[in-house]
Amino acid sequence: MKFIRITASAGITGFESPASDYLQLPLSLDALLVEHPSATFIGKADGCSMQGVGIFSGDILIVDRHVMVKEGDVIVANLNGEFICKILNISQRLLASANPHYKTIAITEADQFTIEGVVIRSIRCHRASQLLASTI
Amino acid sequence: MFALVDANAFYCSAEQVFRPQWRGRPIVVLSNNDGCIVAANKQAIALGIKKFQPYFKAQKLCETNGIIVCSSNYELYADLSHKMMQVIGRFAPSQHIYSIDESFLSFQGCEQTISDLALHAQKIRQAVWKETRLPVCVGMGKTLTLAKVANHVAKKWPGFNGVCVLDDDKTIRQVFAQLSPIDVWGIGRKSSSKLKQNGILTVLQLSQLKIHHLPAGFNVEFQRTIKELNGEVCKTWDSVRADKLQIFSTRSMGKRITNKEHLNQALAKHASIATAKARKQQSLCATLMVFVASSPFDEAPCSHKILKHFNPPTNDTSEILRVIHDNIELLFKPGIAYYKVGVGLLNLSSEKHQQWDLLNPHHHNTPLMKILDEINQRYGSDSAFFAAQGIDQQWAMRRQFLTPQYTTNWLHIPDIHC
Repeated sequence: MKFIRITASAGITGFESPASDYLQLPLSLDALLVEHPSATFIGKADGCSMQGVGIFSGDILIVDRHVMVKEGDVIVANLNGEFICKILNISQRLLASANPHYKTIAITEADQFTIEGVVIRSIRCHRASQLLASTI
Repeated sequence: MFALVDANAFYCSAEQVFRPQWRGRPIVVLSNNDGCIVAANKQAIALGIKKFQPYFKAQKLCETNGIIVCSSNYELYADLSHKMMQVIGRFAPSQHIYSIDESFLSFQGCEQTISDLALHAQKIRQAVWKETRLPVCVGMGKTLTLAKVANHVAKKWPGFNGVCVLDDDKTIRQVFAQLSPIDVWGIGRKSSSKLKQNGILTVLQLSQLKIHHLPAGFNVEFQRTIKELNGEVCKTWDSVRADKLQIFSTRSMGKRITNKEHLNQALAKHASIATAKARKQQSLCATLMVFVASSPFDEAPCSHKILKHFNPPTNDTSEILRVIHDNIELLFKPGIAYYKVGVGLLNLSSEKHQQWDLLNPHHHNTPLMKILDEINQRYGSDSAFFAAQGIDQQWAMRRQFLTPQYTTNWLHIPDIHC
C-alpha cells in the first residue's frame, strides 16, 4: 500500500503549498510494466534471434503467465528443458524468429513443449544499470 | 464450505519452476547445512528416498539414480510461496495462510454463487499451475478438519485428479472407511495407538464415537476433532496471529567453531536475527539465553548456557551484543568444536505497554534500531549489520547445492534464449 504523506502543520512553518490539495502518487514503473505481479517473472534475453521485434541480447524481459496467449504473441516457451523466446504461430505449430539469420522451429510430437508466458514488455538499459552491473 | 490448497512437494516443485529441464525428474532438497533430506518429490520417493534421512546415507542412491540434489533455497521458496498464496486468495472471500505451502479458504457467505465445487477446485489448480508453475491439490469440506482429510485424499489417492470434495454423506463414509485415524489432522501417533487398543482402526469408527462415552485420556481437542469430522464447525482461524512469547535463533554450523572470535561472531549473528524479530512484533526481552554446544554424536558431548536478565527489558541489538561479548569467556572452552549455537529471547513483553522506571532509565537506542531495520528491509537482510557478527563468516551455513535466487536477486534472473 502506498500513501500520500500530508504533514499537519502549525505555528510559523511558512505557507501551505497551493498544490497540497492536488497531490497524486508519483508515477510507478511497476504499475506500468507489471500487470499481474503474482503471475509475472523477469528474465534476461540471451541471443540475437528476436532483434526484429526489438529484443536485443541483454534486454530485460517481463513475462506474464496470466494473460491468454494469442496468435503472433512474443512468448517464452520451455522447449526441451530450455527457456526460449520466439513468436508463436499456433496454426502451423511453429516458433518463428524475428531475424532472417535464424530459422523457424517446428514443434513436433517428440518435443517437450510448454508455453511459459507472454513477453508483455522488454526493457533496454542504454546506460548499464547498477543493479545489473556484473551481468553485462 | 472450506478448502485446503496445498502444494505437492513444494520445495522440490519450486526448484523446477525456473529449471524446466528438471521437471518430471526426481529431486530432493536438503536441510540447512545440507544435513538431511527435508523434501523429496514423488519420483525420488519411488526410487527409495526417505524423508528426514541424513544426506550422507542417501548420497549413493542419489548419485546412482541421477536424483537431483538441492540445498534449501529459502529466498526462492518464500517468494514463490507468496505468489502462490496471492493466486489462491483470488478464489474465496477469506484466506488463511497456514504454512509456506498450505492455505485454507473459506467460502462462507458465497456458497450459492459456486454451483459446482469440484469445478471451482479444478479452476484453482489450473490457475496456480498456469500462473506460478506450482502443482497443488485441493480438498474441500464443511469443516477445516474435513477439508484437510479431503486434501489428503486428493493428494494420495489415484483417480482424484488432485481434487476431492467431501460434501455428501455417501462419499464421506466411503473415504472414512478407508482412512486410518493417524491421517486426521490433530491426531498424533500417541492417540492413534491408543485408539487402536480400543479397536478403532478407521476414521469411520472414529467419527461414530459418542463424545460422552470416550475412552479415558482423550481431551477436549479430540472431541472437537470428532465433531468436525461430523461436519460441525469447531475450528476457525484467528484473524490475527498471536505474538510469540519467546524468540529463538539457532542453527548448526556449516563448519565447526573452535575459536573464540568465531563463536562471538556466530552468537552475534543470531542475536541480530532474534532482536530484529522481536522489534518486528514490538516486543521487549527481559531474559536473554545464550547457548553453545558440540554435537550430541561427539565422544564427549557438551553444552553450556547463560541467562541474563534485563531491567528494563530491551530489544536493542547492541545491548544484547554487549552481554554476549562480556560473557564470551564463560561460554568458550578451548578444545571444543562447537556445532550448535543460539540465542533465545525469553519473557517477552509488549513495547507499547512498557512500564517506565524512574530510577532505572533504559539504554536502548530506538531510532538507530529503526533505521537499521528500515535499511535491511529495503536493501535486503544484512545490508547493514553490527561488525560483531564478522564480515567473513567462516562458520556460515553450508549450502553446496544452492540454486540461484531467480525472483529476488537481479543478478540471478533466468536467461531466456533468443
